[in-house]
Amino acid sequence: MRAHRWFTPYLLVLPAMALFAFAILGPVLATGVFSFYEWDGFGAFTSVGIDNYLRAFSDPVFRASFVHVAIYILLTIVLEVGAGLLLAGMVTSRPRGTGFFRVAFFIPVMLPLVVVAVVWGFVYNPDFGLINGVLEAVGLGTLANVWLGDTRTALISVSIVSGWVFAGFFMAIFYAAINQIPTEIVEAARIDGASEIQTFWRVKVPMIRNVIEIAILLAVTGGFQSFDLFFVLTNGGPYGATEIPTTYLVKVVFRNQNVGYGSAMAMIMTATVLAMGAVYLWVRKRADVDGGTA
Amino acid sequence: MKRLLGSRAVFFIVMGVLAAIYTLPLMWMVMSSFKSNSEIFSSPLSLPTSIDFSIWADAWVVGNLGRYVFNSFFVTSLSVLAILVFSSLAAYAFSVFDFNGKGILFAMFALGLLMPIQSYFIAQNSLFELLSIKGHRWTLIVPYAAMGIPLAIYLLKVYLDGVPRQLFDAARIDGASDMKMFRVIVLPLLKPGLATVAVFSILASWNEFLLALLYVTNDKFKTIPTGLLAFSSRYVTDYQLLFSALTIVTLPMIAIYVIFHRQVIAGITDGSLK
Repeated sequence: MRAHRWFTPYLLVLPAMALFAFAILGPVLATGVFSFYEWDGFGAFTSVGIDNYLRAFSDPVFRASFVHVAIYILLTIVLEVGAGLLLAGMVTSRPRGTGFFRVAFFIPVMLPLVVVAVVWGFVYNPDFGLINGVLEAVGLGTLANVWLGDTRTALISVSIVSGWVFAGFFMAIFYAAINQIPTEIVEAARIDGASEIQTFWRVKVPMIRNVIEIAILLAVTGGFQSFDLFFVLTNGGPYGATEIPTTYLVKVVFRNQNVGYGSAMAMIMTATVLAMGAVYLWVRKRADVDGGTA
Repeated sequence: MKRLLGSRAVFFIVMGVLAAIYTLPLMWMVMSSFKSNSEIFSSPLSLPTSIDFSIWADAWVVGNLGRYVFNSFFVTSLSVLAILVFSSLAAYAFSVFDFNGKGILFAMFALGLLMPIQSYFIAQNSLFELLSIKGHRWTLIVPYAAMGIPLAIYLLKVYLDGVPRQLFDAARIDGASDMKMFRVIVLPLLKPGLATVAVFSILASWNEFLLALLYVTNDKFKTIPTGLLAFSSRYVTDYQLLFSALTIVTLPMIAIYVIFHRQVIAGITDGSLK
């Protein structure tokens, strides 16, 4: 439909576009430009070509941060998506009486990650933390550890917090998806004598495959962009064992005032996120062609 | 029947234990807020010997928590208001009208859906510094509103696309102006969509941390995440006070969530799947 006055649509889009262009679109382009300069945030710009990118690719800390975040993402796929799927399977195995559990498992999603991180910092505290306390109480005191201060356990400790927060989120997504499955299909499986567990793995999980794939994509792209939990719990430590791209980026730009170099790293991270989305679309398309399922 | 009863009981016991373990960190936090620092140290798992709420009041006053809560309310409400108003206007234009450049304008917002915060926050910081946008009470409203707009426009457009076009044609024949169609047809139909967007945007603004950390260093204007972090580094060894502060900030959020859990869960899952 044509607007009554030709300029109405433009006026309607203007406030949103002005704010969006000013605060996001412009800065995306400017970050791209910064990445080809050396700049400390105040003084003169010095053009350095692609040196910032070459430096990033050979920077051992930046490279290690990608390894750390990859390990973290793999762990969170298990601890967030996997655990969320199991929880969804449990709360959908009964028609009634599971509302309380669904509400309870979703609680951490609501809380600011910083608050969660401060609480879990105490849970992991070596002197009076909940985990060491429980281990000592059940006679496993020898397993007590400085969880966040040990290079061997720090990364997995942060991942567990992430799982604690987001398993409930993925449970809610899978719960909604499973409830969309036509009841006749689930009933038919039951009549054929399938147990609750068989129905879950053989019927429900295959039926929500698309949603599981989207959930994994969310965990991968979301995990790659994490910052809050890491910043508060370890800020990259101990000895760089939990340095992830964004914590390193913030240090480079806001502590070392290396805006140009940081911008190049930011561009590499952006390209990585976009590539992940593209890979997902490609996999989906191939699956659709091969399997013939839309 | 007996077997059924047995498996039912087992199911609820297993789920109950799981839920208890899951919520243990939060229960432990509340419990610890009633224990003295020496009790926290000597027996981290013990139940508090007495329930004394005065320490919560102390934490509220000492930690300036009222200030952080107010700032979070201020920033969140105005950001969400801006998102709802700007996005519903734009979604109306994109869904209902044909105009030159529509495709390009919409594609620009779609790009915003894909771009991670890392792609713009460095230059955004420089820009805000240059224009003295940093360091005010209202500072964070600018990026929060801008970050929420792409997803809001997309969700609201999907809602509006489901409205039969005849409704708009009929209004046009009746002589309704562009803005009258917005008020009389679009806004009432968008209500459920606006609720979803509101839930999503409220949580995003309320919980945002990275930009809050970079743009607001004056303690007077800090929001809950950065405020609590500052508090926790100021009173790094007063554990009881810290546990109390964490408790009084989280319990009301959990209470509000439990009351509105249906809308909250639906809003978050809808918003992140689309």
